[in-house]
Amino acid sequence: MNDMRPLERMVNTDNIKISARNCHVFYGDTQAIKDVNVDIEDHTVTAFIGPSGCGKSTFLRCLNRMNDTIDICRVKGTFLIDGADIYDKSVDPVQLRAKVGMVFQKPNPFPKSIYDNVAYGPKIHGMARTKAELDEIVERSLRRGAIWNEVKDRLHAPGTGLSGGQQQRLCIARAVATNPEVLLMDEPCSALDPIATAQVEELIDELRAQFTVVIVTHSMQQAARVSQKTAFFHLGNLVEFGETGQIFTSPQDPRTESYITGRIG
Amino acid sequence: METHMTQEPHIARVFDRDLEAVQAIIMKMGGLVEDAILGASEALTARDEELAAKVRKNDAQIDALEDQVNTEAARVLALRAPAAGDLRTVLTVMKISANLERIGDYAKNMGKRTGVLAQMPAVDGTDGSLRRMAKAVQLMLKDVLDAYISRDAELAEDVRQRDREVDQMYNAIFREYLTHMLEDPRNITPCMHLHFIAKNIERMGDHVTSIAEQVIYLVTGEFPDEDRPKEDSTSFAGVDGTP
Repeated sequence: MNDMRPLERMVNTDNIKISARNCHVFYGDTQAIKDVNVDIEDHTVTAFIGPSGCGKSTFLRCLNRMNDTIDICRVKGTFLIDGADIYDKSVDPVQLRAKVGMVFQKPNPFPKSIYDNVAYGPKIHGMARTKAELDEIVERSLRRGAIWNEVKDRLHAPGTGLSGGQQQRLCIARAVATNPEVLLMDEPCSALDPIATAQVEELIDELRAQFTVVIVTHSMQQAARVSQKTAFFHLGNLVEFGETGQIFTSPQDPRTESYITGRIG
Repeated sequence: METHMTQEPHIARVFDRDLEAVQAIIMKMGGLVEDAILGASEALTARDEELAAKVRKNDAQIDALEDQVNTEAARVLALRAPAAGDLRTVLTVMKISANLERIGDYAKNMGKRTGVLAQMPAVDGTDGSLRRMAKAVQLMLKDVLDAYISRDAELAEDVRQRDREVDQMYNAIFREYLTHMLEDPRNITPCMHLHFIAKNIERMGDHVTSIAEQVIYLVTGEFPDEDRPKEDSTSFAGVDGTP
């Protein structure tokens, strides 16, 4: 047995990256999120689990104001990142999304070269003054996305020509290129085969060293494998939030127990 | 099989059947082990070699059931990736079956020693206390199996506390045998065998206690605190038998 594992798994609970208080989300008359309070820790993978329609993706999308793009969606409550209110009038959502990156369910590379996919964000945010600087950012991002070795010889080939798993890692590289602090992932592996899934999961574990990762997943085993903290959502409520090992061995709420043991959908 | 299910069934019903099947094996093992304890005790009291042989022979059945539990549990772990209460069910059936198997071994060993003791003159007044001790352990086992099937942590805790009575009985027997051996060296051989039997029964009580702790973990998700009073003081006994 590796005695270091419990230490390695330990989460530094002192540093709260994201704090959400009294959060409510409405789509028209329908309430999708009901009074959710949660503190998400820095350098931690936090998994949101729950049946379809439970509000987990909706809540995730509150964290980089993706819900702003939906007309009928209203968000109430306080969302703080490093203590600053992200819904404050002074906050530019575009800048916010550079700081809070997102990876989606289906790999969605731009119809551009691998290089341009990654370079796009740094360019529009003016992060590189020279071509050499941009090259460096692209290489570093592709390395962080654990795909550099596979694409370094064909950086100018189209991103859409990669396999599904490679495309998803390219999208992760693209998301980290703007040096975000938080990485949101909405079902990042649901379109991938088991090997690509394992590669992305391994990547998520590495990304934790630099980012706060929040992942929405339908696969409870994936949540169990990659996260240190797990939040269970049900019918718009945050039912239970705790250390992943505890949630999967001794959940406190019977609804959590029913869901993770396959008794309610 | 009337396994007490604390919850609604799984969406995959076959998972319920898997879990119930493995727990049914545990109950079957439990019944056989109870019989083994009673049989071994009765064989000893009556110096019934035939019954003692039967206890020894029946142990193979208990061992086979333990293998079956392990196979089924490994299967459920591999195929279902159980979580929460389901996971605790699988973990506890593995440990409980190991405890039951050990208790079966102790009963079998009692059967072997009974075969030897039957060839010797009886040591006066020693059988009654062994029989009472075996009965106490068998009742603890019965109750802990009930606690398991009804997911009753309180009853399990009660069983756990009762082990101290078994320990006290063992202490008394230990002193009694020392006295017999000091009185007459011809008592040494039978008393050594009888002492091993007493120790076997005391160890059975420890295994029943371990099962009780598993039941508490199964129900509550936490192991009980290590505050159980231990009464077996014979490890510190001097030659005069007064610890």
